[in-house]
Amino acid sequence: MSEKPILEVRALEKEYPGVHALKGVDFDVVPGEVHCLLGPNGAGKSTLIKCVSGAVEPTRGEILVGGEPLPVGAPSTSIKRGVATIYQELDLVEDLTVTQSVFLGHELRRGPLLDRDAMKKRTVALLERLDHASIPPGAHVRALRPAAQQVVSIARALSHDIKVLIMDEPSAILDDEEVETLFGVVRRLKEEGVGVIYISHRLDEIPRIGDRVTVLSDGRTVATGLPADTPQGELVEHMVGRKVDQLYPTRSAATGDVMLSVRGISGAPMVKETSFEVRAGEVVGIGGLVGAGRTELLRLVYGLDKPDTGEVHVDGRRLPAGKPAAAIAAGLGLAPEDRKSQGLLLDWSLTKNVTLSDLGRFRRGPLLDGGGERTAAGDQLRALNTVPDDPDRIVRELSGGNQQKVVLARWLLRQCKVLLLDEPTRGVDVGAKAEIYKVIADLAREGLGVVVVSSELSELAGFCTRVLVMREGELVAEVPGEEATELELLRHAVAPTDTEPVIAGEEI
Amino acid sequence: MSIKHIAGALSLSLALGLAACGGDDSSSSDAGDNQSKPTSGSSATKTDGPVKIAFSAPGADHGWMAAITENARDEAEKLGDVELQAAEGVTDSAAQADQVETLLAGKPDALVILPNEPDALMPVAQKAMAAGIPVIDIDREFTEQGAFRSLITGDNYGIGYQAGNYFADQLKCSGNVVEIQGIAGIPVTEQRSQGFSDALKRKCQDGVKIVASQPADFVPDKGLSVMENILQAQKDIDAVYTHDDDMAEGVVSAIQNAGREDEMFLTGAGGSKAAMDQIKKGGLYRATFLYNPSMSASAIRMARKIVRGEGFEDLTEPEVPQKITVPATTVTKENVDDVQELGF
Amino acid sequence: MSTTDAASGEGRSLPLPKPKGRIQLQEYALVGVVALILIVGAILEPDSFLTSDNMLNVLRQASVVGVLAIGMTFVIATGGIDLSVGSMVACAAVAGGQLAESGSMAFVLGALAMGLVLGGINASAIAFGRVVPFIATLAMFTMARGLALWLSDKTPVSLFSLDGVRWFGNGEVIGIPSAAIVFLAITAFAWVLLNRTRYGRYVVATGGNREAARIAGVKVPWIVFSVYVITGICAAIAAILVSGRLASASPIIGNLYELDAIAAVVIGGSALQGGRATIVGTFLGVITFALIFNLLTLMDLAVEIQQITKGLIILAAVLVQRKER
Repeated sequence: MSEKPILEVRALEKEYPGVHALKGVDFDVVPGEVHCLLGPNGAGKSTLIKCVSGAVEPTRGEILVGGEPLPVGAPSTSIKRGVATIYQELDLVEDLTVTQSVFLGHELRRGPLLDRDAMKKRTVALLERLDHASIPPGAHVRALRPAAQQVVSIARALSHDIKVLIMDEPSAILDDEEVETLFGVVRRLKEEGVGVIYISHRLDEIPRIGDRVTVLSDGRTVATGLPADTPQGELVEHMVGRKVDQLYPTRSAATGDVMLSVRGISGAPMVKETSFEVRAGEVVGIGGLVGAGRTELLRLVYGLDKPDTGEVHVDGRRLPAGKPAAAIAAGLGLAPEDRKSQGLLLDWSLTKNVTLSDLGRFRRGPLLDGGGERTAAGDQLRALNTVPDDPDRIVRELSGGNQQKVVLARWLLRQCKVLLLDEPTRGVDVGAKAEIYKVIADLAREGLGVVVVSSELSELAGFCTRVLVMREGELVAEVPGEEATELELLRHAVAPTDTEPVIAGEEI
Repeated sequence: MSIKHIAGALSLSLALGLAACGGDDSSSSDAGDNQSKPTSGSSATKTDGPVKIAFSAPGADHGWMAAITENARDEAEKLGDVELQAAEGVTDSAAQADQVETLLAGKPDALVILPNEPDALMPVAQKAMAAGIPVIDIDREFTEQGAFRSLITGDNYGIGYQAGNYFADQLKCSGNVVEIQGIAGIPVTEQRSQGFSDALKRKCQDGVKIVASQPADFVPDKGLSVMENILQAQKDIDAVYTHDDDMAEGVVSAIQNAGREDEMFLTGAGGSKAAMDQIKKGGLYRATFLYNPSMSASAIRMARKIVRGEGFEDLTEPEVPQKITVPATTVTKENVDDVQELGF
Repeated sequence: MSTTDAASGEGRSLPLPKPKGRIQLQEYALVGVVALILIVGAILEPDSFLTSDNMLNVLRQASVVGVLAIGMTFVIATGGIDLSVGSMVACAAVAGGQLAESGSMAFVLGALAMGLVLGGINASAIAFGRVVPFIATLAMFTMARGLALWLSDKTPVSLFSLDGVRWFGNGEVIGIPSAAIVFLAITAFAWVLLNRTRYGRYVVATGGNREAARIAGVKVPWIVFSVYVITGICAAIAAILVSGRLASASPIIGNLYELDAIAAVVIGGSALQGGRATIVGTFLGVITFALIFNLLTLMDLAVEIQQITKGLIILAAVLVQRKER
């Protein structure tokens, strides 16, 4: 791959009023390569993407596509030059069909009317190119699974003649099985000579799919052109600027009584009768593929959905079914899967988000003690190293990892006994991930019971006391933390335990 | 959600604005009389057996219209040989048309109708006429000749004119007058307003000044707020002309609350019982003008006569006239006792 | 965009400027508008507009829709809407009127009871019956009006002798209209309730993100229930105020009050989709419209001018809100 680069970025700078977002970025992409882009939050990745995709005009520096400078102003010009972007929040309109989505904005016409046949044919062809001919061109986007929606998004990009495809954290919403499929699509693009810029927080993906790596930090290129098999530790060091000894903290062990007892809980159609226990001091991981029913299980335990059968006991006392308020009063806390749309009130201050579940504590007569709220919230946020920790800030402004800390702070304030965490490190960069793992471990050591649902089997294997695996609504396996590996967990997640491993060969 | 809500609410207000307050709405006609001969399919006269009359008027949430329906029913009962089939009052013209169709299927001898909107009800009226069923049109005039046999209507312009004359006399052609109108823009309001100012102009030239003229939508609470504001602006009011008795109640309250009853007098229109009581007591409320909701009773009588092949006794012509315009009655303390029973 | 919000990401090492509260801007803008109207009015109608008599008159008039608008603020804060308040006012007035022979207290109790019942029906349908607020209150809009006409037999009841009720509508306390005092008291109480109590926090949470509120332990159905009961009670209070001024319990009052209330809430800065509410803004919105009605009537301008002016103000307010986003 020593050809002329299809995309070159030279000394790129971008200043906003008050913020110097990019201070000098250099990297390039050659045709047919997958170039991974790494960096902590705040490094400038999103600004860089905006510049390259034409949405934003750089202050200084050059962007060359095929040797020619990129005209700035509208993303449509970038697309014409062959640069397309797939955002994590896919730019699809749910009510349209696959074909309509693919051609939205540049529909094919015959005279004044839409040429639906032609569009359908081309959509089918595009989907075949991506090895996803099984997606019906007439299906509504809303009906597709996130992974399939993503393929539609990629097909949409491909419907133009693109040379560079930027993928912003495409694997964040996928489980391990779907990630493999995604990689298949990316390899197809490689074969066609498309250059792919692949942004991800999952370090283990880089050697699997990438060719080269560039690390950004604080608006600058810290390292570029690194081979994809550079050891993880080195990459993390580049990103964070210091040695990170250990991604995962020491495992905690169960110390006390059973804090959470789930017996025979079921909720049609996703969750079949399930039972498990969590002791004080334990971190219990629940892994599985998307659709296995993990989130649904947590929702049933917490009472967001009413279970069909079963009982939940917290610290010995039975919970009335289907009442989140009762669960909270008994000492449960839930950090939901989508922290932005379910966990937080984005337009509220940090304080108000942190205190919402425990307002009773701040009552002075009929009124609330606003000052007391701020102080208490501030204490919790500082304890978790939230940045910024000013309790009057609006939550929307914080990065993903810090937003997650706000959610955790809420339950810490409440002094829960059992924490249910659903994908706590989704969309969080490596540095923040390590902090969150540490927080979880510390909480367990202080006597909480913690349940962690995650799609990243490697992280579950990394720091949980024990890992449960769900498949199609049932708990099918329990593996002690020290013995767990990603491969083994994946085997349980996809097939009955006594068959051959699904992914042959690859050592993780 | 937000824009949808605003749009929904605005369209709602539009619908409400059109439907609000069904009182005292008049015909859309002016004073022009039609002199041509009554047209009809040959309507056979029926000298014996009961006279079946189909009756339809808009639904009433307001006294005058409710009185129309009630008066028709009462008159039919009084007459003894009339079988009245009344449709339930609705506020939608299309619904009224449907109801009339249903009534016509019962083959009545005559149709007495107060159309919600004359244009919308004309086709069904013409149908009735073509089938030999004579149509008596109340208050709101059908513009097509073939749509009715006889028309009995009040006269909004006339009410205004009569009021203007009354004010001219009472004020001896000098003073400040406030006008509180009904719903702005509809024919009733415009005619009452026009008649009023025309009469004043003719009798007094510029002697009487209309210092304020604001709509209050035929409802008392609007009358109240509007008058409260006008009282702030006008420190010297001699008389208040309102288009409607119900609305006038609010205007009266405003004047009383401000303690200025002795400064002026007030008139209403429509003929509500409450207004009659106040007129009888004397003081602020001096008069009301009405065209009587008794016209529906007259319409029943007219229908009966037409079916029986009779005319009005004291007229030379052997047939029932084609158009009868009921004059407005000025109701003051002097004659209130005579008309009180007609109040609603 | 990546899950890491761009704004936060970029400035991690730099202090971000404190965001100016969206609502504060709207409130300041409204104060400016009110001041502007006062100045314009003083110039155009020097003898009658800016007098204490007229200003108290405006305050008295504003009280009826004002009380409704304050209640409406709670409903809108949860992301709902109540189209039935005008009809509920008429129905409550009529209910009180039926008991008028037994005195002022009976009138007040009758009106409050009706307000509670009607509000409760709305509340049950919306919170537990899962009916969309627009539809449920639209149905109540017609039902309450029909009930009012039926109960009263389409005739108003004179309240001439009920001094207590008339005092509410038209009395004064040290020169300030009693209706205005009721309005101001309710405004103050509502402000404390919304901004300084747990309940108020829950109301705004329910509108801001219903699912997140639920997960955080807010009993969402009860919160939704409560706000429609609030509008029912406010309708009853408004009925007492206006019937007192009218000295009559009439079934045909209350036309389009709900739109005036909603408009006041909207231009005050509360978001129609819920989650952001300001009592002060609603108060200013009510005053703004009352001043405009008053000024244009004083000037004896055609009612069309008033309607256009009102519409333009609403439009301007919505545009300002958009800009802030």
